Amino acid sequence: MTPTASTPLATATQAATDTAGEPLLAEDLIEEVSIDGMCGVY
Amino acid sequence: MMLDEPWALSPSVALRPEPFGALAYHFGNRRLTFLKRPELVAVVRALAKQPDVRSALANAGIPTSQHPAYVEALRGLAAADMIRPRVEEPR
Repeated sequence: MTPTASTPLATATQAATDTAGEPLLAEDLIEEVSIDGMCGVY
Repeated sequence: MMLDEPWALSPSVALRPEPFGALAYHFGNRRLTFLKRPELVAVVRALAKQPDVRSALANAGIPTSQHPAYVEALRGLAAADMIRPRVEEPR
């Protein structure tokens, strides 16, 4: 009989792949922040 | 924009080194941007010394596969006037 485990193997595998081979995005490189209303930042 | 164009850091921008990369602050528009990778800081600093963006990326050791992400990030910096097209002096 073929096991019919409900373990989300595909999801786990996909997550591992994403973590290992995640493409670099612009959001990984820059982040703009607003300093309106802040004092003493510079 | 932009791989074959000459660019440079805007004269109104100060880069402050940080462990994660650098803070870029624009004294004119008061915008603040985190450069979240030291490699991107190296690219931005190299822009003024290199003939074009592609050369700055190569100089900083950025693999070709990551060029699109870096170009997109540089476009973001350009939109905030952190970097500008460099006007070459006529000879």
